[in-house]
Amino acid sequence: MTDLAIVTEKLTRRFGALTAVDNVDLRVTAGQFFGFLGPNGAGKSTTIKMLTGLLAPTSGRMQLLGMDFSSHTLAVKRQIGVVPEGMGLFERLTGAEYLNFVGRMYGLDHATTLQRTEELLEFMQLADRPKSMIADYSHGMQKKLALAAAVIHGPRILFLDEPFEGVDALAAGALKALLGRMTARGATIFLTSHVLEIVERLCSHVGIIHQGRLVAQGSIQELRAGIAGEEGTKTTLEQIFLSIVGQNGAERSQIEELSWLT
Amino acid sequence: MADVAQPVGILKQIGLIAGLRWRMLHNNLRRKQNRLDLLGLIIGGVLAGALVLGVCFVLFEGARGFVYSGNTTWLSLIFWAIFAWWQLSPIVVAGFGVSFDFRKLLRFPMSFGTFYIIALAYGLADFSGLAAVCWLVSVVIGAISAQISLLFPMVAVGLLFVLFNVTLERLLGSWLERWLAQRRSRELFFAGFILLMLGLQLLGPLMNRFGNSVGPWLMRALPYFAYFPASLAGKSVGAASAGNYREFMLAAGGIACYALFFGSLLWLRFAAQYRGEELSESQAPEKTVRKTVRRETAEGTLGLMSPQIAAVIRKEFRYLLRNGFAAMVLLIPPILVFALISQSSLLQFMGSKGLSPELFFPSFVAYIVLILMAPAYNSFAYENTGVQTYFTAPLQFRDVFLGKNFVQVCLIVTELTLCIAAFCYRVGAPSAPIFLATLAAIVFTVVGQLSIANWSSLSFPRKLAFGQVHGQRQSRMAVLIAFAAQILLFGISSLVLGLGRWTGDRWLPAKVFALLAAAAVGGYVAALDALTSYAEKKKETLIEALCR
Ligand SMILES: Nc1ncnc2c1ncn2[C@@H]1O[C@H](COP(=O)(O)OP(=O)(O)O)[C@@H](O)[C@H]1O
Ligand SMILES: [Mg+2]
Repeated sequence: MTDLAIVTEKLTRRFGALTAVDNVDLRVTAGQFFGFLGPNGAGKSTTIKMLTGLLAPTSGRMQLLGMDFSSHTLAVKRQIGVVPEGMGLFERLTGAEYLNFVGRMYGLDHATTLQRTEELLEFMQLADRPKSMIADYSHGMQKKLALAAAVIHGPRILFLDEPFEGVDALAAGALKALLGRMTARGATIFLTSHVLEIVERLCSHVGIIHQGRLVAQGSIQELRAGIAGEEGTKTTLEQIFLSIVGQNGAERSQIEELSWLT
Repeated sequence: MADVAQPVGILKQIGLIAGLRWRMLHNNLRRKQNRLDLLGLIIGGVLAGALVLGVCFVLFEGARGFVYSGNTTWLSLIFWAIFAWWQLSPIVVAGFGVSFDFRKLLRFPMSFGTFYIIALAYGLADFSGLAAVCWLVSVVIGAISAQISLLFPMVAVGLLFVLFNVTLERLLGSWLERWLAQRRSRELFFAGFILLMLGLQLLGPLMNRFGNSVGPWLMRALPYFAYFPASLAGKSVGAASAGNYREFMLAAGGIACYALFFGSLLWLRFAAQYRGEELSESQAPEKTVRKTVRRETAEGTLGLMSPQIAAVIRKEFRYLLRNGFAAMVLLIPPILVFALISQSSLLQFMGSKGLSPELFFPSFVAYIVLILMAPAYNSFAYENTGVQTYFTAPLQFRDVFLGKNFVQVCLIVTELTLCIAAFCYRVGAPSAPIFLATLAAIVFTVVGQLSIANWSSLSFPRKLAFGQVHGQRQSRMAVLIAFAAQILLFGISSLVLGLGRWTGDRWLPAKVFALLAAAAVGGYVAALDALTSYAEKKKETLIEALCR
């Protein structure tokens, strides 16, 4: 039996006249490493905000881990972890204080929180500046801390909004190792990115969103098979991405116009 | 490269920045959510305008009167008053200024001169600065209208005085900001505060014993005040009015020296900022220490609460202690109260006017409640993106408010206990009916305000910069609501107290307040659930306001 971790039905969100997310039907099976791909402004963050309770949908339904989000909000929230768009850190706490805070907010007991805080700080290599406030962390360190906070309660679904943005290769390696370990243990990961390469390298399944509409969804192999036409030529995801998203490539030629850029 | 950017003139750049400010204001008001804020702006503007105009009129008449009657040097008094307002009000009414980090301008090719002028201009662009300038102008006009020959001296002295005040105010503000940003000095500050509280207690008895010798000593010190800019300003105008231009030039030159001195100190500071040094808040990263993650000690009493509430409480306390400026504002009222009640002469004066502790006690308690409750009306101001945690974590929003309000109440209880104890020690306890009535009234006004403040925090959130003295713009609606709620609650309270006097039933106020307190607590508990669902409705505006 395949459990569906995330199901959305006609999920829609409007901001005034703009429809940021338009009738999106997502299906993410438990244990998948799902990449949510799309150019800037496509509606990725808006979707993730709705799925994590930061934004109310205009219409449509969401089911997480088989529970309806609107009627089982607290039960769902207990099972999910999130790194939201702005990382959601309390910048005037130290890393340890923040992790303690989050652990307790998710209802972990005191001893467990302390132990996990220490382990996570160690794992993320943040343990050597115990007195620094988060405001003084570098961007990459903040990302690592935000991820640590998202996993401290051992969530079954992890939502990550652009987790690798501004993270150096070394740190990215550690993050990837952590994420890999989590999926191996059955957690579901839902990650957004506008960088194709990241999704292609990490994820087993992909959804592509463009101007609020979900234009493709499936495993990477499926998507490749779907597009590959002429006698078995291998289509990379990049070509798919471009064929879906980059139709208005006409804009590209304008680069030539900026001739005064030396 | 032919047409690379040309150097831009200072005036041009200043004009551009003024235009930028205007666009920011304009766009801000165009946003739909800010319509209510506009209403707040208008109401607040009318109130502030009335205050400024009223004082303008008084000062105009005062200056005119002084010059007419030939006591031109008495203008010093007005200059002193304006000086005190200018330097002290930013601390007390911080929250009217504009929020714009002029350090962001550093990325542009801007000369240091331009940077300096703009940074100075920002010192003028907040409420206290503008009000002070208006008042100075009315003093100048008042004096001139009495004696037209004072035109040049008054304008010159007025300009110098503005310059002196702006530079000094900016300098003090930036020093304070920087100083409070450091952990060491913040601790020093708290220690100093406690010492001061104790010291003020000793001051009273000391004054009693040596009071006689203090008076003459003060008289001897008085002439030295003549060398401060405010006195110099009065003196120079007086000299000019008497036709003594040598004296006038000397005194005006004195003010100019002050302005120059503070201006050059400020120059050094801004120069450091211009070079790119970050002079406020952030500290140099401390030395690398391995393996000293401090284990949080046992749960303590917080263990009795739900872990979520306890977590919020801990976080709130930490934020409070780290936010140097906000913490300082909270410490000012008790200092003032302590200073007041340690003055035995004041108490004697009150006694002679028939102002008994019976009246004084409730009113000073009201003052402390008033000041301490103000931040609660925009209680998410410092959360930034962290506020998202309250919505992603599995908790009822009620817990967040319970935690925040608990800290608020702890603070008030602590400060009030200290002050009441000091009051009873110095002045004597008020009679039992008044004492108990005041205690019940505290519960009524504090708890009653908490419900309103929680609602206001959700409805009119506004982000405030951490530990910053300048450039903070409070949520205007929140300020107005705070005003309205406090007027309402304190109005009811005075009514009840008056009722007691009128009916002659000494215990009546205590009984009524006990009922009101019970009603307030009941209302608070009932409101918690409503607030929880209200928070769900308001989460988008809340998150947007704080994460932007
Ligand atoms: N609070 C908001 N108000 C108005 N428009 C918004 C808001 N949040 C997002 N949008 C718009 O919705 C669209 C999708 O935004 P977002 O989900 O952040 O895109 P991305 O895929 O880059 O994360 C964008 O056009 C953005 O301008
Ligand atoms: Mg985004």
